[in-house]
Amino acid sequence: MIEFEAAYYDGRTSARKPVRVRGYTLAIQIVGEGLRLDVPLAKVHVDPPVGGTRRALHLPDGAQLQTDDHAAVEALFPRAHLLEGWVHRLERHWLYALAAIALVAAFTWWSVVDGLPLAAKVAAGFVPVTWEEKLGEQTLGFFEGKLCRPSALDAARQQALQRRFARLTAGLTDGYAYRLLPRDCRAVGANAFALPGGAVVITDALVKLAQSDDQISAVLAHEIGHVRHRHGLRMALQAAGLAALAAALFGDATSITSLATTLPVALLQSGYSRELEAEADDYAFQRLTEIGLSPKAFAEIILLLEKDHKSRSGGESKDYFSTHPATAKRIQRALSAP
Amino acid sequence: MVVPSTYGGAAANAAGPGKRHPVEFSASAGEYFRIWIVNLALTIVTLGIYSAWAKVRKRRYFYGHTRIDGESFEYRANPIAILKGRLIAVALFAAFYAISHFAPLYIWALYLLLLFAGPWLVVRSLAFNAYNTAYRNVRFAFSGTYRTCLGLVLGYGLLTVVTFGLGFPFLRRRLIQFAAESHSYGTTRFALPEGFKKPFIRPYFVVIGVSILLGVVLVAFFAAVSVIAGAPAKAGADKPGWMPTAIIAGVVVFYAFLFLQVAYIRARTVNAVWNHLSVGPLRFESALRARDLIWLYFSNFVAVVLTVGLATPWAAVRAMRYRASKTTVIASDTLDGFAQAEAQRVSVAGEEVADFFDIDIAL
Repeated sequence: MIEFEAAYYDGRTSARKPVRVRGYTLAIQIVGEGLRLDVPLAKVHVDPPVGGTRRALHLPDGAQLQTDDHAAVEALFPRAHLLEGWVHRLERHWLYALAAIALVAAFTWWSVVDGLPLAAKVAAGFVPVTWEEKLGEQTLGFFEGKLCRPSALDAARQQALQRRFARLTAGLTDGYAYRLLPRDCRAVGANAFALPGGAVVITDALVKLAQSDDQISAVLAHEIGHVRHRHGLRMALQAAGLAALAAALFGDATSITSLATTLPVALLQSGYSRELEAEADDYAFQRLTEIGLSPKAFAEIILLLEKDHKSRSGGESKDYFSTHPATAKRIQRALSAP
Repeated sequence: MVVPSTYGGAAANAAGPGKRHPVEFSASAGEYFRIWIVNLALTIVTLGIYSAWAKVRKRRYFYGHTRIDGESFEYRANPIAILKGRLIAVALFAAFYAISHFAPLYIWALYLLLLFAGPWLVVRSLAFNAYNTAYRNVRFAFSGTYRTCLGLVLGYGLLTVVTFGLGFPFLRRRLIQFAAESHSYGTTRFALPEGFKKPFIRPYFVVIGVSILLGVVLVAFFAAVSVIAGAPAKAGADKPGWMPTAIIAGVVVFYAFLFLQVAYIRARTVNAVWNHLSVGPLRFESALRARDLIWLYFSNFVAVVLTVGLATPWAAVRAMRYRASKTTVIASDTLDGFAQAEAQRVSVAGEEVADFFDIDIAL
């Protein structure tokens, strides 16, 4: 027989009644001032244990017993809550806690390095190309008129660029409607960007900066790489995944503490975009070789862009926070491309 | 059978001296850390499904260690209900995210939807939490309706917009009053008399006043500095060397000031509400201090950053311990006379969805 002290609540008022409980094989007997109750064990519902918190035994008709005698409750209900009982035992030992730390750390590391980019790639595969085109159109709508005006280059020059672009995209059967949009965007200087769905914008400043048209082809091939590998979409998905992961891991911290995750998330994102730039570079090298141009042109234009950027910003380019991989590394890769 | 409360509702709340019951919080950071990390690991292993059980266990740990007059609180939520809520939340959030990316022109429709769904989520989540919280085997309840909450949000929301944000404290005050007075413990309603209004609003206007003053001082200071430095900002000339440093310093000062504001407003408004709240023969006393909260939030922030998140459970226990240590229940009668209400089951946890969209009017 098991015997323990408990508090009895009848479930109708908040009145507390100290009682003595005797546990037998099939029933418990509750004895207190003006109270004598026999309840079959099968009708008692016990809450799973959590830490050292008080145990509650729910009786029929909404009554309840509360006790701090954990040993007695365990002895009476040895087989209640097998799963949460097991979790409770894990929670009690530092050794399991250490194992859990290792597991969480390994998972976080893997997710950030491989898992999220992979998941974003797979998820992007389910998004129809028409959606991407919509996304691209809306981004373009944002640029047009505000940041960019139609190109000021003469018609012959523009046609030459279009021919170069057509040569680069000829025979690409990936469903994208590739089109080159020369624009005059003073605010962004010498630059080119790819929009999801196939639009590639090149600025007049970049066209003027380039010393040869092969260099322009190199930049365009890089941007086509962004489109083909659906980088705009994948970036968005990775950002969402990263935010979800941070929320899942540290979500129950107070809101001010959760501010602490903003900076690491931003740093990781710039790391991701550097990876995507490298992927677009690789595509550019391959495509240039395919149509009979040399990846060296890519190295040349990168060098020119770097110089141009330095003279515009009047300082060193900062590799740690920049979204493009370190220039020297990119040039080296271009020069050693097959 | 429902026994009537012996206190005769909120009207009987006595203002006189009574027995003081400090709120005790006996959780240990070490024990909670083990619970937190083991449950996090299990959540990962089960691809997130276990997260509902993890939430219930963590909450039960906190409730179970919160005691008044030696009796602890109970969290009774069914993990399955929470899991359902979370699945709905994930689906809605994914839809929200997809639309905001692929059709940003329709984003206004989403915000309109959120404006109408928000109050519903708030009401559901308050109801779910109240129904699943018990003390001395008597449940709490929430009887606020969607219609009332929506009316408040639309009315005071409009006021906030036309007053360029000055109406926000009043929106918040009205929502808190709605939330507090719609709660009951068993059959006994909570009451929040008019007296809380003034101390609730004052801190907002103190902050607004100080911000204006500080803004004026800063502008004057920078104007003076640039005059002394010899007006270097000629068009096209080199940017002065101290500019980046000044900008960084400005951003740091801005965030530090924001931080102080949040802590100050939180301390004062929480005190305003709890020092006026009553339920039956119970009153409360809340003595949060802004400077304590500033230190608490700041040190928690630093600890969490330095430990790459591992200090999160410690920070949570610490925050709750502080809150409990500054809260007292004053009882002019015994705590035995609250009557259980006829239970109205609340199923799916709107809270999970509200959590995802960061909707909250809790205090």
